[in-house]
Amino acid sequence: MKKTIPVWRVILIAIFVAGAYATYLRFVKGWAAATNLSDAQPWGMWVGVATLCGVGLSAGGFATAAAVYLLGMERYRPIVRPAILIAYLGYLSVCVGYVYELGLPWLAWHAFIYYNPHSVLFDVCFCILAYTTVLTIEFSPAIVEKLPWKGFRDGYMHWHHRLATAVVLAGVLLSSMHQSFLGGLFLIFKGKIYPLWYTPHLTTMFYLSAIPAGLAMVIIALYLCNRSLDAKVDPAIIKEVAWVISPLLVLNLVWRMVDLVKHGGGPYLFLWRPETAYFWLEIALFIAIPVVMFNHRWIMNRPEGAYWTSAVVIAGFITNRVNVSINSLERATHANYVPKWPEMAVTVMLIACAVLAFRYAVIYLDIVPKKVVAKTKSWLANAGVAANA
Amino acid sequence: MAKALLIDITKCIGCQSCAGACKEAHGQPGDPEPKLSETALTVVQEKNGKFVRTQCMHCESPACASACLVGAIKKTALGPVVYDKSKCVGCRYCMMACPHSIPRYEWSKLAPYMKKCDMCYEKRVSQGKPTACAEACPVQATIFGDREEILREARKRVVNDPTYVPRIYGEREFGGASMFFISDVEFEKLGFVTPGSEEPLPEVSKAALDEAPMVVLVGGTMLAGLYWITNRRKEVLLAQAQKKTLKFPIIDEEKRS
Repeated sequence: MKKTIPVWRVILIAIFVAGAYATYLRFVKGWAAATNLSDAQPWGMWVGVATLCGVGLSAGGFATAAAVYLLGMERYRPIVRPAILIAYLGYLSVCVGYVYELGLPWLAWHAFIYYNPHSVLFDVCFCILAYTTVLTIEFSPAIVEKLPWKGFRDGYMHWHHRLATAVVLAGVLLSSMHQSFLGGLFLIFKGKIYPLWYTPHLTTMFYLSAIPAGLAMVIIALYLCNRSLDAKVDPAIIKEVAWVISPLLVLNLVWRMVDLVKHGGGPYLFLWRPETAYFWLEIALFIAIPVVMFNHRWIMNRPEGAYWTSAVVIAGFITNRVNVSINSLERATHANYVPKWPEMAVTVMLIACAVLAFRYAVIYLDIVPKKVVAKTKSWLANAGVAANA
Repeated sequence: MAKALLIDITKCIGCQSCAGACKEAHGQPGDPEPKLSETALTVVQEKNGKFVRTQCMHCESPACASACLVGAIKKTALGPVVYDKSKCVGCRYCMMACPHSIPRYEWSKLAPYMKKCDMCYEKRVSQGKPTACAEACPVQATIFGDREEILREARKRVVNDPTYVPRIYGEREFGGASMFFISDVEFEKLGFVTPGSEEPLPEVSKAALDEAPMVVLVGGTMLAGLYWITNRRKEVLLAQAQKKTLKFPIIDEEKRS
């Protein structure tokens, strides 16, 4: 333990130094120094990875909140806070990422005074900002409960408790909207997108794939909390979340294939082209390999089994988003885009910031259970919370 | 009265007069460039032995305008699709959305804007004058006029002369445009994009956006209903639990051990 921390510190410092230099390049030296973006490839890694994956991997927040607050699955209450924190940090990094991505970031507020309701991007923007606000409200008790002013604390908690369900409901709707509209962004590129990724239901594709990826992210975070931060999250809960992901992935596969064949992508499935390889890589990483791993007893019985399987799911999810936003367009736009190092450095720095913030939140706030709670009698398990209310 | 341009590829001699006049009209220095750029809003390129002009098509229902986050791009009644740079935030969705990949970005600047042909809207067309490129063309390969008249002229040429390909590019592609091309070589061989359907692209995203209110309404009602059910269940459980506690008081397990 003592040996590993300095190594990670060195890596972190390297990440932040590189990120700071990349920031300098982007805002002082300009686009050409910081990116490989061009007229043929105006959207690159900052959209494909920083935005699409940042939002997508945060889907665990609304999924667990809905399960606990709306569907009454009280058993999962201990993982709602970490899931919401992941989502909150994810959205904050997306917002920061947009400062790099926009050409005129200091004018970003124009989106709200000159809004164009026909633009899918406007809907995405609106929902992301609204949902970031919702997440702030959902997460706020974790900070407020640590404040020293008792009167304010009690008053805040009282009102928060009364409004929680409504806030969660709004959050679920907003999330569902923009998770799918992120796919909707690509609808207007009809004709430019390679047939393996174009469907009029890109919205559904993005929504269906975000949920398992978001849950995989929650598993990774919980496992790491248990391993390195002395958290005591019941491993059974982690395992159960893993059990949910697998059927969701199968649903993704079935839906994808039916939709693909229905919209004329069938003939492209086995052509000797780079796109074919990207497509099968995505299917393998996002669906095929994880489904096998999730259903393999030897893997799942190991404490790190669900963790590594979730990592594969996330790799597959990122492949999917990069495929849709970059690889699917290159044949039509004749672009040959590979991100320049500052683009990667900025993205990695944003991720590192989120991970660090998560770590310190877990250490200093009550995010995850830190001691084993005695089991309640089974017939009281669901009534317990109602009794508190 | 909506205006339009007709570009007759059979007549173009590749003299670059239009590209030069465009640069002059937009205050951009230098000679005509080989490719579209932030300083070359129209170019003449040789493709398959023909000279082909490339610039914004000024679509009837422009994908860029519907994509624009802040509504900075507008289709005017006169025909030109114009860009109000004071609104732009630099998201570059217009560049991605354009089916002809026309918009260019000032990548070299720290406060970059999008650049594309504006059909000389402000300084010429809105004051009843033809575009700079049409005026400069020495052989009338590019002509400017009322949209209906220009379209009639294009039809006349294509019908009367069998060497033309029987198609006016820009009449129906992506829902029609204000820039028409006629040619004696297949348009696909000249680098023109042929869409799979004539449906204007904004319709595609509109269809998705229109579903949203319904999804929110139905989804919201369903979720609220589910919440009501689970909440009710909890209340019932609680009532039962209280009854049970009266009969058999709970012994706190922690205290017992």
